Amino acid sequence: MARNTESSTRSAGRVRVDPGPTLGAKQHRIGKRAQMSAWLANHQLVAIETLMALLARPMASILTWFVIAIALTLPGALWMTLDNIEQLSGRFQESGRITVYLQPGSEVLAGQALSDRIAQLPNVVTTDFISAEDALADFRETSGLQAALDLLPENPLPAVILVEPPLALSGEPLDTLLATLRGYSLVDTVQLDMAWIDRLMAMLVLGQRMSVVLGVLLSLAILLVVGNTIRLAIAARVDEIRVVKLVGGTNAYVRRPFLYTGLWFGFVGGLISWVLLTISWWLLSGPVSQLAGLYSSQFSLKPLSAVAALTLLLSAMLLGWIGAWWSVSRHLYRIEP
Amino acid sequence: MSILPADVMVRFDQVGRRFPGGNDALSGVSFELKRGEFAFLTGHSGAGKSTLLKMMMLMDRPSRGRVVVDGHDLSTLRSGQIPYHRRKVGVVFQNHQLLFDRTVYDNVALPLQIAGYSPIDAARRVRAALDSVGLLGKEKRNPIELSGGEQQRVGIARAVVNKPALLLADEPTGNLDPELSEEIMNLFLRFQQVGVTVLIATHDIALIERMGHRRLILEHGQLVQGGLPTEETVYGA
Ligand SMILES: Nc1ncnc2c1ncn2[C@@H]1O[C@H](COP(=O)(O)OP(=O)(O)OP(=O)(O)O)[C@@H](O)[C@H]1O
Ligand SMILES: [Mg+2]
Repeated sequence: MARNTESSTRSAGRVRVDPGPTLGAKQHRIGKRAQMSAWLANHQLVAIETLMALLARPMASILTWFVIAIALTLPGALWMTLDNIEQLSGRFQESGRITVYLQPGSEVLAGQALSDRIAQLPNVVTTDFISAEDALADFRETSGLQAALDLLPENPLPAVILVEPPLALSGEPLDTLLATLRGYSLVDTVQLDMAWIDRLMAMLVLGQRMSVVLGVLLSLAILLVVGNTIRLAIAARVDEIRVVKLVGGTNAYVRRPFLYTGLWFGFVGGLISWVLLTISWWLLSGPVSQLAGLYSSQFSLKPLSAVAALTLLLSAMLLGWIGAWWSVSRHLYRIEP
Repeated sequence: MSILPADVMVRFDQVGRRFPGGNDALSGVSFELKRGEFAFLTGHSGAGKSTLLKMMMLMDRPSRGRVVVDGHDLSTLRSGQIPYHRRKVGVVFQNHQLLFDRTVYDNVALPLQIAGYSPIDAARRVRAALDSVGLLGKEKRNPIELSGGEQQRVGIARAVVNKPALLLADEPTGNLDPELSEEIMNLFLRFQQVGVTVLIATHDIALIERMGHRRLILEHGQLVQGGLPTEETVYGA
């Protein structure tokens, strides 16, 4: 070795003038199959090398990873919440407050007594009796039609009993309850109040739209972040790209490592996002089931399903790849030897 | 497509290159290199030597005329074909264009890796190429640890590792002493002897005179020696 490291130009004495038997003008031909397997081998190599490069210097890419992770976690969390609310509303489909209108002119005391009786029924949590007078007073206050109401010869409003069933009541037991209520002679009509469920469903649709809009916007953010990171990576490797193109590297060959880098950015970002979502689920699921217990509900927070987690990961990788592609197609073709 | 004789490796027909601003780096350049020929390209600094070599690599394109290499009119190559053309041509530049983030071995292996050689096949060829330039013992080194002359030889090994049909060198002995320069030139000569067409741009007149091979001389972008007579310049067209 000492011989090799001495005066470098003098080492010229060892230049072998014979190019050797394996060198010659005939260029080696590579068969189609060999080319295919070489192509696959190169993909494998590049995939591993780019991942190793990212993991070897995590501090350089950690910012990108977390931006991707957070951009994924926000819509992911919203989506997870909505998914849970949907599950919740599915259970409440048939449930809601029941309004029992009494016959006009019913006695206040009779009404009050019926209300108390209904409160004793199974599948009733509470009842609230509102006499005709109270209803009128209420209406007078809130409607602003005071003068007009004073002109009426008698109170047009019936007395009402508000019946609160348990949250999860539905199907057969609910029907039985409604039939029982209709059976009382004092009762005029019974109405199941679904308005709040309709409102909830509308909110849910709105929320889903919002999560889509948020998802699209944050996807754009991911594309920009990955694109910019790849742009910097390209700038750092301009010399290498020039040499590779000079010795016959195709555009596909040159862009491959950058596309894989984008793919790995997405993968790691997606993985971090999944961890963040799982942690939030873990933090929230305890308090939520406690809360549900207070409402005598079996409801518990669903974690991210395997399918959803996979979707998250794959879309993250796709976004990373597209971001890299976008950046590469803008910057790589300008670099020529 | 072109009706050139099969033994013609390189053919320039009335090639001109005008840079923006009206600077004519080349004008009316016509010459031919037969397969397996060895020639020097000389001329003063700024005469257009590098520009001429770059055209054969499609690193630059003529503003006028046509360049034919190995039977292909280069102006007709689609951009997707350019890499495959470049694999047929080995180039050595004065600024070696080596990559300092990898070993000598990996630098030389790059063209093979790109062309899709199996690692075993590639290893054999890289060794042969490094052996031919006398650097077999330094394959694990980083090129940055090598002297200028050694780096130059790594560049040569990389240029010939893929057994190119055409070997171009731009000032390959630029920073070498006379002794080493001659060894490098002899090395190029050896490649010619196994059938490679070689064109070397150099300032080293003394060396050229000693070696005595065909000379193409450029002066202000015009070929003043070694070109084709004007009446011969149009084949088939
Ligand atoms: N990219 C460019 N833009 C404008 N002019 C250029 C460009 N490249 C080269 N030239 C001009 O073309 C002419 C020929 O340049 P070239 O590099 O081919 O000379 P050369 O013979 O290789 O010189 P040297 O021996 O110094 O390397 C010069 O006048 C140079 O200024
Ligand atoms: Mg030059």
